[in-house]
Amino acid sequence: MKIIVCIKQVPGTNEVKTDPVTNTIIRENIPAILNPFDAYAIEEAVRIKERRGAFIYGISMGIPAAREVLREALALGIDKGILMTDRKFAGADTLATAYTLSKGIERIGDFDLIICGRQATDGDTAQVGPSLARTLNITCATDISRIIEIKNKEMHCLKITDDGYEEILVKLPALITVVKEINMPRLPSIKGMKLARRAEIDIVRFDDIKADENRTGLKGSPTRVRKVFVPVHQVETSMIEGTLEEKAQKLSELLLSMGMEVK
Amino acid sequence: MDGDFKQVYGEYLRDESRQVGWAESIAFPRTEAEIISNLKEMSRKKIPVTSQGARTGLAASAVPYGGYIINLSKMNKVTGARYDEKEDRFFLTLQPGVLLSDLRKYIANKSFDVTGWDIESLHALKFMEKGKWFYSTDPTESSASMGGIASCNASGARSYKYGSARDHITGLRVVLADGDVLALKRGKCLASGDEFSLITEKGREIKGRLPKYKMPDVRKNTSGYYNKPGMDMIDLFIGSDGTLGIISEIEIELSKTSPVNWGITIFMPDEDKALDLVRALRREIKVAGIDLNLNPSAVEFFSHKALKLLRERQKTSAFSNIQELKDTYHTAIYVEIECSLDDEAWKEVEKLGDVINALGGDEGETWLAYNSVNLEKLHDFRHACPECVNLQIDIIKKSNPGITKLGTDMSVPDDKLKDVMIMYNEGIEENKLDGVIFGHIGNNHLHVNIIPRNMDEYEKGKDLFLLWAEKVAAMGGAVSAEHGVGKLKVPFLKKMYSEEEINEMRRLKKIFDPAQILNRGTIFEYVEGQ
Repeated sequence: MKIIVCIKQVPGTNEVKTDPVTNTIIRENIPAILNPFDAYAIEEAVRIKERRGAFIYGISMGIPAAREVLREALALGIDKGILMTDRKFAGADTLATAYTLSKGIERIGDFDLIICGRQATDGDTAQVGPSLARTLNITCATDISRIIEIKNKEMHCLKITDDGYEEILVKLPALITVVKEINMPRLPSIKGMKLARRAEIDIVRFDDIKADENRTGLKGSPTRVRKVFVPVHQVETSMIEGTLEEKAQKLSELLLSMGMEVK
Repeated sequence: MDGDFKQVYGEYLRDESRQVGWAESIAFPRTEAEIISNLKEMSRKKIPVTSQGARTGLAASAVPYGGYIINLSKMNKVTGARYDEKEDRFFLTLQPGVLLSDLRKYIANKSFDVTGWDIESLHALKFMEKGKWFYSTDPTESSASMGGIASCNASGARSYKYGSARDHITGLRVVLADGDVLALKRGKCLASGDEFSLITEKGREIKGRLPKYKMPDVRKNTSGYYNKPGMDMIDLFIGSDGTLGIISEIEIELSKTSPVNWGITIFMPDEDKALDLVRALRREIKVAGIDLNLNPSAVEFFSHKALKLLRERQKTSAFSNIQELKDTYHTAIYVEIECSLDDEAWKEVEKLGDVINALGGDEGETWLAYNSVNLEKLHDFRHACPECVNLQIDIIKKSNPGITKLGTDMSVPDDKLKDVMIMYNEGIEENKLDGVIFGHIGNNHLHVNIIPRNMDEYEKGKDLFLLWAEKVAAMGGAVSAEHGVGKLKVPFLKKMYSEEEINEMRRLKKIFDPAQILNRGTIFEYVEGQ
């Protein structure tokens, strides 16, 4: 199985500050870390590899220093790190990022599965994963909280939704984004870091990919940030537990209490 | 006791040791002047006074044995700053009720409520902007108050490199039992041989002779009064558990943050190999000819039983943020390192990996945190151990309300580390007790926590601790390394010092508190009716 994990370097803080004029994130003087959501993506890929064997690529688009998060991914168990770095990639919004990543992934060739973290903790858009799937024209399943089984080019998994869970069957090749419920990411070990520090990371520049210059970097980014805010989540979900009869009973009581008619 | 008092102020009769005392009245002073007037009155009436801060102590120092409580929680302001430009040293002056957690926040954000600060302090604050500073004393309980930290000479994990609270306290104001004040500045109040002379703010000279007892030669000790010929007299008050006076102001020195601050949790296949790793980290032995020069700031230990308890707890959601503990992990060592360059750290960490392998461990079975986010995860893991014990005790308490946690706080000299580990393990095993060992192994200072399942085991545990205190004293160790003697460890202190030596301490107390009204039952045994 060939798995690709998309990795981003983000500021190592939970309190992201934005520039009041440009509304973009202030990254100065904050040490960079592996995007915490990507740690779940890496962990899930490594678990698949441990269970059934796989070759895992980690791909990142960013500044040369993003090499360090790829090293961390290597220490955690991925097999190859690829860094897409070029001035022509700079200033990319989510659309241009997805396009650029898709070009890097085309270079890898055939693959079975792409795993992305649900979102990056700096921009919090959760757009790159789905956008990348669209660009590559493959199946996309977001917010996966459990991979139940991978069999015959199909993946059986659990998807978290606003109201609960959905069990879904995904045809491979596909892209999934994962949520933090999916696993507990391991920390790198000394052994892993020794290997990672000696590993070579592939550098991919603009000229290495057959890309449209008008679709990468600032040029390829139509997004203008007007306002940054956290959307209000108003849905409250409670799970009904018990035997089938009990569940039915509780559900009917609930519906009645909401003024609905049970026939 | 007045039932109403107990009802309204009941919580002030207890502290984290879970002991409950009694009292008749309480005050919450906001200024030093209020402490002075309170103490003057109590002194005149000969009413015993117990001082308390955040009541997070584990030795029952803040638990009153009758009389009046002076609770300092409302004196919680950082009142000034000082910068020594020549030596690039930064100091803060604060009231005793400031909480460690708040202090850390103020320092990290470089943001203080500067109302009432003098010009020198405001000027000093400008220099703070230039560097990154932190307060190195790091007891697990961050809701501890700074007055409490000074009173029991607290320390924490990073004391391996930074020493205890004492090493970072540069000034104290102490209100004596009669309301007079001693303003002590480090370096300015040295004893001459075994004689000392201190001048109070009222101009009274307090003269005396230091005791003859020698303190144990250990890395950490807060058992009874600090005592050394020629000592700085400020050190007598630090770690004196509030028995000599009430601290009304503290000046602390901050340390500079190292650019590199990493943590590594290492899982070893057995305890013996884990102890060898500690000795290699301390450069007492060389493993496979490797000269390990990691210079750790913390070296911590988790016994097999501690990991087992954590593993069981992990199955519940309470500790779901902690990495998975494999069944093969036997004993764990946690190391924290600080240096100026990444490359420097990598070089030593790679050598550490080789040492682990050479000792029969596996460098793959390590958790390496080289950024603050992951370091936080390792800290969570470290703190989970005592939390787990507390949760377990809470469950047992439901059916056995008389049971409390039994925890030791003893330290021994470097060459006695293996001996003391054998003593702990054999004691737990022979008595068939449920016990976990964790803590500051770098300083030979481990916390043994017994989880008694019934009253019989509780009594057995208490007897065992007394026996250990005796043996630790015989090894040249200290019966309390960071929690203070308080009230709980009074019997242990008797194992460490002779009756005459404790009487020497009592004579010293009487110089400052002639009527012995301060913190009755702390350090010295309280016998009702006396």
